[in-house]
Parts: sequence; C-alpha cells; structure tokens
Amino acid sequence: MRIFALAFALFLMGGASSFLTAQPTGLEIGNKSPEIKLPTIKGDTISLSSLKGKLVLIDFWGTWCAPCVQEQAELARLYKKYKQASFANGKGFEIYGVALEAKKPNWESFIIKNKISWIQVSDLKFWRSPVAKAYNIQELPFNVLIDGKGVILAKNLHGADLEMEIGKYLRK
Amino acid sequence: MKTKILTFLFIAVAMSVFATTEFSCQGQSDPWTQQQLLAPADLAKVLNNPKAAQPIIYSIGMQAIVKGSIDIGPAMRAENLNTLKQKLGKLAKNSQIVVYCGCCPFSRCPNVRPAMELLKSMQFTNYKLLNLPQNVKVDWIDKGYPMSE
Repeated sequence: MRIFALAFALFLMGGASSFLTAQPTGLEIGNKSPEIKLPTIKGDTISLSSLKGKLVLIDFWGTWCAPCVQEQAELARLYKKYKQASFANGKGFEIYGVALEAKKPNWESFIIKNKISWIQVSDLKFWRSPVAKAYNIQELPFNVLIDGKGVILAKNLHGADLEMEIGKYLRK
Repeated sequence: MKTKILTFLFIAVAMSVFATTEFSCQGQSDPWTQQQLLAPADLAKVLNNPKAAQPIIYSIGMQAIVKGSIDIGPAMRAENLNTLKQKLGKLAKNSQIVVYCGCCPFSRCPNVRPAMELLKSMQFTNYKLLNLPQNVKVDWIDKGYPMSE
C-alpha cells in the first residue's frame, strides 16, 4: 500500500514538473513565445530562439509608423543601458526588431541613418507578414518581453513602464 | 479644500474644452464625408462578384494588398502623389475610384489626406476612401477579403 502511495506521489510530481517546464506556445504571459525566423538587411537569417539565455524585447515596428519611429531613441537608450546586464532570468539584454516593412530601401536607410545596432529583421511583407498573424498584432507599436527561456514576461509596455519591467528582473 | 475643488473644476473644464476643440479640429481637417467612406465588406462583395462594375482601386500606402489595386506608393511623398495625379488625369471625372492606405488609423495616417484632397481638387465625382479604421490587417486581411497575389 505504501509503495503504491509513493508511486502515485512520484507520478503526480512527475506530471507537475513536466507541466512546469514545458510551457505551451502562445501569446499570453507565461506562454512560450512563438518562434520567429526572418532575414536581416544583409540577408542572413536570425531566429528568435537563437537568443536563448538573454532577456529579449521583440519590437514590432515600421518606418511608416510615427510612434514606432519616435520610440527608437528610447530603445537605443535601454539597449545601451541593459545590454550587458545580468538578470534573474537571463544574461544580457537584446532587442529583436521585427519591421513590418514593404520595401527594403526605406527600412535599410532608416537603420543606417539612426545607427540602430540591435537585431533587425523583416520579411518585407508589411501587414501580410505571417509574424503579424502569429503574434496577433492589431496595431503598431507592439512589443513582447521574453526571458532567457523564451517565456513571455510582458506585452506592449512602453516608456517608463517598460524600463520598470526590465528593472524588475535585474540582478543587483 | 476649497482650492482643491477649484483646481479640480479648472482641470475638468480645461479637459472638456480641449476634448471638444480636438474633436472639431479633426472633423474639419478630414477632406472626406461620411458618405465617401466605403465599408470593406461592400468592396469585398463587389470584388467577389465578376458581374459587378469594378472600381479602379489605388493603394496609396505601403503595399497594394487589396485584390486588383494599383500600387502608387505612400501619397505623403510628392513623387507618388504626382504619379497618382498623372493616372487620374487620364480618367473620366465620374469614374468609380477607391483609394486606401491601411497602415494605421486615419488620425495617424499621413497618406489618406493628400490623396483625398487631390481627388477633390481634380473634381472627381465618384471617389471613395476604403474605411479601414484600424489598419489593412485587422479590417481587410483578417476578415479574409480578396487580396492581390
């Protein structure tokens, strides 16, 4: 009887631990963020999953979106400040900029002109991008903050709210 | 306490005045009427009906997403607006014309106003703005309406 109870307890624990480690992929906080795999300006592909281990801000934007363009200076400041920082749930901070762009020249010249040094990718499909569908984007700007395991920590935070959220995980 | 109430009242009045001016400014600056807004469902119906008279559709934004639309490019740029002007110059004034951008809500869109102003100034009589209140994804793509290849 005792062995039975022990086996049952172990079974329950096993179930619980596998439940805790394997978050479902989705768009809710606590879900594993859907994979993104898109080309950079140079044409090489960078996947979101390749940034595993870092705190990552996925920034959906476009050169045609005025509030997104305005936000880029703030993102540059955050990137510089936290790039090398250690977090409770990730080592280093990265921005994965996904541009909902239609044509390459606009996107390319904006990045060069504004000296954007973080990762920038686009499939040049504007609102038809499968990524816009996968992340159910309703409008821009939109962003998602994920931890070192790719789990969603926060959605669509901007300005002071965004920095406060990043600061929450900072290892002091 | 009295000062607090007064401050509150002042802020409330200031806010309501601001809200009304904002609203009326926006209404006045839009170079289109409610009747000139074309519901996406209505255009989709026409596009899906080969027997219906098809309008000439110009994409005056980033990408020609609506089926059969002609890609002009963002109308905020003078060269694109000029392209549109040249194309329109060849049409009869009563031609059925639809323009759309769909990057963002009209209040933030830099392209719809120049295009609609151009159509007005060229004295077209039968032109519409595709009503995409949010953007072309939410109000067209997600609805499954006809898209270009």
